[in-house]
Amino acid sequence: MSALVTGMTALIAAGPQQNAAAPSAPIAAAPQAAAPAATLRPVVSRPAVATTASQNETIRQYCVGCHSDRAKAGGLTLASYDAAAAAQHAELTEKMIRKLRAGMMPPAGARRPEASTITALAEALESRIDASVPTNRAGGRVFQRLNRAEYARAVRDLLRVDVDVTALLPADTISAGFDNVADSQMFSTTLMESYLRAAGRVTALALGDPEAESAEALYRVPKTQSQMEQVPGAPLGTRGGVSVMHTFPADGDYTVRVELHGNADGFLFGGPNLNEQIEVSVDGERMALLDVNPRLADVTGGLALRTPSVHISAGPHRVTAAFLQRFEGPVNDLLAPIDHTLADTQIGVSHGLTTLPHLKDMAIVGPSKVTGVSDTPSRRKVFTCRPTAPSEETTCASRIVRDLATQAFRRPVTTGDFDRLMGFYRSGRADGDFEAGIATALEAILASPQFLFRLEPIPATVVKGQPWRLDDHALASRLSFFLWGSGPDEALMKAAATGQLSTPGAIERQVTRMLADPRSEALATRFAGQWLRLADVEQILPDAILYPYFDRSLGRAMVREAELFFDSIVREDGTVTDLLTADHTFVNGRLARHYGIPNITGPEYQRVTVSDERRGLLGKGSVLMLTSVADRTSPVMRGKWVMEVILGSPPPAPPPNVPTLEETGAAGATRLLTTRERMEEHRKNPACRSCHRVIDPLGLALENFDVTGKWRIKDNGSAVDPSGELYDGTPMDGPAGLRRALLKHQDVFVLSFTESLMTYALGRRIEPQDMPMIRRIVREAGRQDYRLSALIKEVATSPAFRMGSEVPVVSETTLAPAH
Amino acid sequence: MSYLTRQTLNRRTVLKGLGVSVSLPLLEAMIPARAADAQQVVGKKRFVAIEMVHGSAGSTAFGEKNHLWAPAETGRNYTFGKSSLAPLEAYRDHLTIVSRTDVRNAEAFTPPEIGGDHFRSAAVFLTQSHPHQTQGSDVRAGVSIDQIFANQVGGETPIPSMQLCIENVDQAGGCFYGYSCAYTDSISWATPNDPLPMIRDPRAVFDQLFGVGATPEARARRRRRDRSILDWVTQSVSDLRKTLGAADQARLADYLEDVREIERRIQKVEASNASGEPRDLPGAPAGVPDSYTDHVKLMFDLQALAFTADLTRVFAFKLSRDVSNRVYPETGVTTGFHIASHHGDREDRILEYAKINTYHVSLLPYFLDKLKAAREGDRTLLDQSVVMYGSPMGNSNVHNHKRCPLILLGHGGGAIKGGVHLAASDGTPMANPMLSVLHTLGVEVSSFGDSTGTFDLNAPAVTTAAGA
Repeated sequence: MSALVTGMTALIAAGPQQNAAAPSAPIAAAPQAAAPAATLRPVVSRPAVATTASQNETIRQYCVGCHSDRAKAGGLTLASYDAAAAAQHAELTEKMIRKLRAGMMPPAGARRPEASTITALAEALESRIDASVPTNRAGGRVFQRLNRAEYARAVRDLLRVDVDVTALLPADTISAGFDNVADSQMFSTTLMESYLRAAGRVTALALGDPEAESAEALYRVPKTQSQMEQVPGAPLGTRGGVSVMHTFPADGDYTVRVELHGNADGFLFGGPNLNEQIEVSVDGERMALLDVNPRLADVTGGLALRTPSVHISAGPHRVTAAFLQRFEGPVNDLLAPIDHTLADTQIGVSHGLTTLPHLKDMAIVGPSKVTGVSDTPSRRKVFTCRPTAPSEETTCASRIVRDLATQAFRRPVTTGDFDRLMGFYRSGRADGDFEAGIATALEAILASPQFLFRLEPIPATVVKGQPWRLDDHALASRLSFFLWGSGPDEALMKAAATGQLSTPGAIERQVTRMLADPRSEALATRFAGQWLRLADVEQILPDAILYPYFDRSLGRAMVREAELFFDSIVREDGTVTDLLTADHTFVNGRLARHYGIPNITGPEYQRVTVSDERRGLLGKGSVLMLTSVADRTSPVMRGKWVMEVILGSPPPAPPPNVPTLEETGAAGATRLLTTRERMEEHRKNPACRSCHRVIDPLGLALENFDVTGKWRIKDNGSAVDPSGELYDGTPMDGPAGLRRALLKHQDVFVLSFTESLMTYALGRRIEPQDMPMIRRIVREAGRQDYRLSALIKEVATSPAFRMGSEVPVVSETTLAPAH
Repeated sequence: MSYLTRQTLNRRTVLKGLGVSVSLPLLEAMIPARAADAQQVVGKKRFVAIEMVHGSAGSTAFGEKNHLWAPAETGRNYTFGKSSLAPLEAYRDHLTIVSRTDVRNAEAFTPPEIGGDHFRSAAVFLTQSHPHQTQGSDVRAGVSIDQIFANQVGGETPIPSMQLCIENVDQAGGCFYGYSCAYTDSISWATPNDPLPMIRDPRAVFDQLFGVGATPEARARRRRRDRSILDWVTQSVSDLRKTLGAADQARLADYLEDVREIERRIQKVEASNASGEPRDLPGAPAGVPDSYTDHVKLMFDLQALAFTADLTRVFAFKLSRDVSNRVYPETGVTTGFHIASHHGDREDRILEYAKINTYHVSLLPYFLDKLKAAREGDRTLLDQSVVMYGSPMGNSNVHNHKRCPLILLGHGGGAIKGGVHLAASDGTPMANPMLSVLHTLGVEVSSFGDSTGTFDLNAPAVTTAAGA
């Protein structure tokens, strides 16, 4: 809160010089009570740059010098800007507000008015815009379709089966950072075909397939994953390998084939190794113990081993292939053990090193000799009744079909749909048995547009051109996809069906209930994962020679850490700023070792208190890694990430033909340059300077974290220098300094966070016209100290969330492809 | 220009686009296809790029002298003699041998790259670009020839292009000599930074092409069910539209177009079934066969079927993996492939290595038979296709990339006459004949990889002695 207090003091101090008659409308990020307790404070009439004339004068004095018709800094001229007409230039005005609020303008070094004048100008512009937009503005979008993540969750809720959705559906298009933005969710025949095939496969997986033919399911072990430790899910006393939940289609005989890594010459990698054994287990029970012959090689029949055929029942089972742990690690080796044990399989043929065999992949082959389909969680969920006589079949089928369709369609089934679904049941029943009938109906349900699309019908009474209230079922879906990433549960469906959801306070009560439910982990894995861009961690593969202590398991642990961290703030109802400042995190043994945190072992994540420099998001390995490249840190990418994600103010795109950092600088140097030195060299180009002096210091403050987020004090042999100045002149020294400097602009962070949350909740990009609403949400949440629950409730009760509105017809056919 | 070949360009975008906003950069490329579709099927070219690793015995000095790869004579009247290409005798008229071209971009450019040939070459073969040495995620090579072609025609078929392989491949991560396994694992690059994963399991290929179902009956049943589901979808949509706003209605209308397209595809597959799918492939393959020959043949079956049904027109097919030590019992050679390729320039071992080369080539007629048996209009599929087979390495013993193997099969829709051995002049980049292949396929590009010009793929008038 300190920034706001400072701002407040400044305002009061500046008071007497200003004219009275400040805008009466409440203003975003209006001064809140000082930390820690939130005291509601009446909105005071504050002095400001009161008249449009004085506002225009301020702009002319401090902005137009660079943003003139001639200089057009940043491609922008404010020479003829009129603050009185702020609302007519909403987009431009919002940009100005953003830069002013973030303290980015006027830039450091340029002549600046008092901070209070800047704030007052921003507030004046805000209030003028806010007053111009109707408070019930909904903003519209076309309907959303289920993306990969939502499809997987919806199938899990409906059928209790986990499906590998990446094998079923094409990748989603990301827009504004999120995969659920409606107008970017294009249709294609590939998508349609995928949905159709997925319906068949999911049905077979869920209900089992008594006619299943033998097929092979291959699980690969990433080469970049260490195989020295027990993998999650594998039995104790094993190392490496792979452990998966595999859904078996039928009761029958299966074999498991495992393949080992070879070295460059096609001989078994790892050695000298006598007596290595691989245990293949199903649900922890040994299925086979395979001896690894050290003489395995391409030339002697390959590096694969097979288990005998074993009978396994249908449904999900944990299958693990892992080495028995023979000893704790390399003994008496010339080099210290490394985590990336397959970094270069040539190491395996070097002398002086003990290496161990590694698993390359595991294939589950079968079934043969199908004997039937046993009871599984899916079948228990679906078959809520069992006909004991042919006369009972239709009654039972009706019940099953209606229940499944209602849950899948997220609203009551119409008579017409129900009749047609029963038609599917009958045709399947005619071809086979009762179960075949249910399977056919289920497949139709899963291929239905009502399952795949989140359609929101317009009430018949709607007035043309006016926004309308969503019906309760549509609202229930919006809530559940927002908070759970999936369809509504029974309680929410009931609240919608009884009209209870429309009663005052009902949404707030549902939000409270849903946040407490474990399914709200979707806010961490779905929302925060995308907001923070955690998926990029998989894309970065640190150079194995420079960072041998990295391996894929560590990358995954970092992603999980960030998710658990966000989740903990949600569960404990922390504040938005806790995301930057909280002194706890979650580590497993591997990550603890990486961070230098003692006394944590094993694959489970534990809550720990972290040192000052690792507090909050800026100390998380995932964030630091996803903003690096393979062989060096990238202060530019880190700075850009801070500007985009934390400050919501992305830097402009670089001009074309910029030399890369690699091409910069090392000439004539007698030693390797540090990343900072190379960047400073790079930045000498005046064309680059204007932006990079803003971007770079943000990233340079994090230079003590290497590519993998490990703490370091040297870069390329020279001491790391994390010092710098924030664009507003605040000195920073390392991560803590950066954090404190950013906290001075915490209102900007809260606003930016809210924008992301709204984008995700609404499934549409935020437009300048939405900013008044977002400011109002922030303001209201501010009354509760920016607690996440408050923010989420404000979003869920906002007109944009609860209402629909017509959007212009943009058929795909009028859009030229982007390439 | 960006290569977004894995995205299918919707037909309706084109169909409706003709009447609406004609600012589609790819439109021109698609109009002839639509026109052709409306008239008849003739004129659709197919392309298969097949990579064999480890060069050839014929690229050694001894092999050149004894014509173990390229025949002794150039021109039309050559004899196969001891050439590893002898198994192609029956397809002589369809065969164009382009000998003595170099793959310079597979050479080491800097000291750290020396010795890394095996871990760089595969990425060079179809891109003819020099891979950036890295074990990290910053991989970079070039756009491969199959993807350049797929970029042009991929939107006309359900699947723009497919990538197949035989040997197991690693996943991401470092391989050797500081090269990412991405370079070793894939020969097909959608963009310079985007190697496409190659599919090894014939069943996975099959499912992608023909849908789920192990037997023809099961697949027919599947298609029937798909059709009734599509009917239901269509009906639901028309019910639902009434309750929605105009923009959502338009969106559903677009969606219905996709539904109809799937219906058309099902009809197409059923039509192609009449031409023999059940006969050729009684059951879907259960997984990866143990036998190399069986595996390769199965993959060829699938490619021929895909071409017949026009499900895709582009394949990249990687027959092996660098440093593979597979033993081929059919050859009588008991040494592993890679070890045999390091023959130490000993004549007896070079001759033994030639047996492996011959064996690999001998797998091609199986595929060519199928292409020749399939007719499209008044031509065979082989006439319509270019099957390119080659290696980015020359003399494997010393890891050089000079005088590398390259042959073309098929007439490319009439653009390649065949029946000829063309010897390139010293130092000709392999990219030159590849550029000309692109031209015969109808892709108008002015350069490819390190090409220095085009290469006439049709016969010179005179027959001269080559090599020796």
